Amino acid sequence: MVILRYIGSRLLFLVPQIVGIVLVGFILIKAVPGDPATLMLGPMASTDSIARLRTDLGLDQPLPVQFLIYLQKLAHGDFGTSWQTTQPVLSDLRTRFPATLELVTYGMLLALLIGIPLGVLSAVRKRGAIGKIGGMYGLVAGALPDFWLALVLVFVFYSELHWLASPIGRIDISVIPPDTITGFYTIDSLLTGNWDALGSSVQHLLLPVITLGLINAGPILKMTQSTMDRMLQADFSQYERLCGLPPQLIMRHAFRNALPSIITIVSVLYGFLIGGAVLVEIVFSWGGAGQYAVQGVLNSDFNPVLGFVIFSALFSLVVYFLVDLAYLAIDPRIRH
Amino acid sequence: MPLPLQNRFNAELKSAVWSLILERTGYGLRYFVQFLRVYPGYAAGYIIVLTVALVAAVAPLIAPYSPVNADASVYLQPPALSHVLGTDSTGMDVFSRVIFAPRIDLAIAVIGTLVSSIVGSSIGAWVGYFQATTGIRSFLSSTIMRAADVLQAFPVFVFAIALVAVFGQSINSLVLAIAFVNIPIYLRLMRSQVLRIRDMRYVEAAYILGVPDWVIIGRHIIPNSIAPALAQLSVNIGWSILLTAGLSFVGAGVRAPTPEWGSMIAMGFPNVMTGQWWPSVFPGLALAITVFGFALIGASIEFLADPRRRRTLASGKPPLPTQA
Amino acid sequence: MAMSSSATLVLETRDLTVSYRPYGLPPVQALRKVNVKIALGEILGLVGESGAGKTTLAKAIMGVIPQPGAVEFGQILFNGTDLVRQPEHKLNQLRGRAISIIVANPRGELNPLLSIGEQLTNLARFHLQASVRQARQLALDMLRAVKIPDPARRFRAYPHELSGGMAQRVVIAAGLICAPQLVISDDATSGLDVTVQVQILDLLKKLARERQTSMLYITRDAGVAANFCDRIAILYKGEIVEEAPTAAFFAGPAHPYSNLLLAAFSHHSALRKRWSREVEPLAKDEIGGSACLFADRCLLRQGRCFHEHPQLRELAPGRFVRCHFPVERPSS
Repeated sequence: MVILRYIGSRLLFLVPQIVGIVLVGFILIKAVPGDPATLMLGPMASTDSIARLRTDLGLDQPLPVQFLIYLQKLAHGDFGTSWQTTQPVLSDLRTRFPATLELVTYGMLLALLIGIPLGVLSAVRKRGAIGKIGGMYGLVAGALPDFWLALVLVFVFYSELHWLASPIGRIDISVIPPDTITGFYTIDSLLTGNWDALGSSVQHLLLPVITLGLINAGPILKMTQSTMDRMLQADFSQYERLCGLPPQLIMRHAFRNALPSIITIVSVLYGFLIGGAVLVEIVFSWGGAGQYAVQGVLNSDFNPVLGFVIFSALFSLVVYFLVDLAYLAIDPRIRH
Repeated sequence: MPLPLQNRFNAELKSAVWSLILERTGYGLRYFVQFLRVYPGYAAGYIIVLTVALVAAVAPLIAPYSPVNADASVYLQPPALSHVLGTDSTGMDVFSRVIFAPRIDLAIAVIGTLVSSIVGSSIGAWVGYFQATTGIRSFLSSTIMRAADVLQAFPVFVFAIALVAVFGQSINSLVLAIAFVNIPIYLRLMRSQVLRIRDMRYVEAAYILGVPDWVIIGRHIIPNSIAPALAQLSVNIGWSILLTAGLSFVGAGVRAPTPEWGSMIAMGFPNVMTGQWWPSVFPGLALAITVFGFALIGASIEFLADPRRRRTLASGKPPLPTQA
Repeated sequence: MAMSSSATLVLETRDLTVSYRPYGLPPVQALRKVNVKIALGEILGLVGESGAGKTTLAKAIMGVIPQPGAVEFGQILFNGTDLVRQPEHKLNQLRGRAISIIVANPRGELNPLLSIGEQLTNLARFHLQASVRQARQLALDMLRAVKIPDPARRFRAYPHELSGGMAQRVVIAAGLICAPQLVISDDATSGLDVTVQVQILDLLKKLARERQTSMLYITRDAGVAANFCDRIAILYKGEIVEEAPTAAFFAGPAHPYSNLLLAAFSHHSALRKRWSREVEPLAKDEIGGSACLFADRCLLRQGRCFHEHPQLRELAPGRFVRCHFPVERPSS
């Protein structure tokens, strides 16, 4: 019952938060100079047709009215149209958002696989070589530009070693992408038994996932290491040592106590990467949502930007919500 | 308090504050040198940053070529004696551009971060101090926090690009964009520090004694909250350099042909596929090393400020046996 | 009670010297040639002020002296085995099982994410190789023994749900669940309310007597030790300055420092006044390198105290004092 009330109160906060984000995005977009109507019709258009388009788009209305109109359309699921793709933003995002999600999810998984074990090891063996390597990794990974690392990997593994196929896009041009169920090429090809698509999409995922994984393992490692260290120094760990409990058990307990902080940073990273992977997306011509939004801003195409902002904000909020539920499960102190 | 007593109190307070500052700075310097002796690895961070700053400052004197001189006849030459790091697709010398670039990158990142730290910390300190008090101040502080939440939920990169688009594509607007994007970080940091210190007994005592708010903030709260902000500052500068480079990479940052590490990587991007790696790899390397230096400095500040680790360094006062 | 010189000794430290050597600074001696003897079933009270070295002694026995400290000299004999020379994994087998420690601030020391029942069963399972069911039964028995009301329900409780007194009982249960031979109580009752303190001490004494467990009861409060311990040892600046059976000690302490300690709580205002007189601080050249450590605070100091470090000598059977001029009392 407590859980239901908690979920209810969080959902209640969701709506004003989304409206707030849309408002900020709206103000920001409208502050960008550039007239969408002119851009859409091109330099050769007549002033008449531009004026007509502006009225059609509602651009001649006062700003608060425009905002309300947008909100109203939003409530009906209408995110507007992108003049670059001439498609409704919603359908554009329906292909692009899963693309980014697929990339970011696998990237995060790899980052977890690298970051957490290394983080735990370097906390347990603080003075040894592993401890120092762990500390260095966090610093180095945080300093590497992700787009540059992507380029370097492309150069090494594609241009020089020719181990991998062309690093363009999510799948080979000659291969037919799988039917869309989830939007994840890997999952969809598995579900439909399309082995060509599976192989090709995995191959294309390799380099960008490695890039994201290597770099984002850094913050995860740092947080894991520092939190594990703190937990191992804490009174309760010392006490367990005084009770003669075996070191593995003490380590397991310390890790469990460190989980909340680790989950926090994973959730923050996950939400950040939805928009933050855009540079890697550009290098690999991924066709993801971040790329979509960036092109929107650069070309004064506003609806994609707002649509992306809303999607990514919703995603972050869902992630934070799930994380809070996880906290409840782990830490008995919160339940009271 | 009667007036002569009050004057004496003020005078003694002033002399006490001065001696405290002197003692702390002297103490701090000795401690810092000791720290570098025990952990020489951290010195690398300071050396890197100083070197980069120095190189940027004397770039006009040591660059073999002009960074914007495009000589099409020597385009895409691999590293050789004439062009130590090679040339890019328009014939500009990579080395000269690499050493000129930090002038822009460092300036934008440092100024932007400083502005955001000052503005963000001030607002954060104010918010933290007046939170949960009654009246309009409390309402204002809650509103500011909600606004900061919304701002931070915004995808950073898109936000930065939009800001650049709003202010027009120039160096100043990049600085503004960097500043804007980083404000919530310092706001939150300062606010949580202030909340922590505010609840301590000695602050409560000062408040009861009638010490005015601004004195409490200036004398007690700010000195005790600065260390984490300082560590954050250095790391932030590094991250802001990365952001500037990223913005230039997508074309929303510095305009060609101004040398900037991110735009150099972007220009060299098509050539990497065909095997000419040097126009993109070298600027990225310089970028990574510089950011690494800043990160290392930040890590060293974090270490220095941590009271628990301080004891293991023997700061001139022997620890009591039972304290260990 | 038992005289420590003849009965079997559970714990004996011989000239135990522990120093801390921080980087770049002169070493600090936490314990100087400390000789402590605890016989089977005996409760020894170790009284000293903050910084005297009490916790260091506890940590030395458990083998967990933190950096930058180490045992420089001496032996810690537990049933004849020198703990200082033992490897870490052997020590770990002893900890919690043969030698256990009851800590102060129990709520901070228990793992916040595990129920107290779970923490107790962990001990039973790892030290006694008990099965899950056996361990659970042992834990419940122990909770009952420490008089925790409704032990079955409290078994699933978390540390933050307990009061200070109850958490202390849980820690005591943890200290006794493996039926150790030596229990060290490090200031374990100092933070508790006085009424709770009395209950807990009675409980500890009863359990110790029932199982013939030896105890090292470390405290800052000499008065509490009076009712509880068989013998008292006073620690000052890392040295044992007096050691005596409880009754004899409280009838008339011999060392000036012991008198200072007791006078502070005394009813007799004259006594208090007498011992709380301010002592003039000494000039640097008055103290030789090998002076009595208490000389600069001592009311009864004389010339010899500044140049000759006193040795521990036996005033009467079982009474030891480290002073050139111990207090002679007919009665007080």
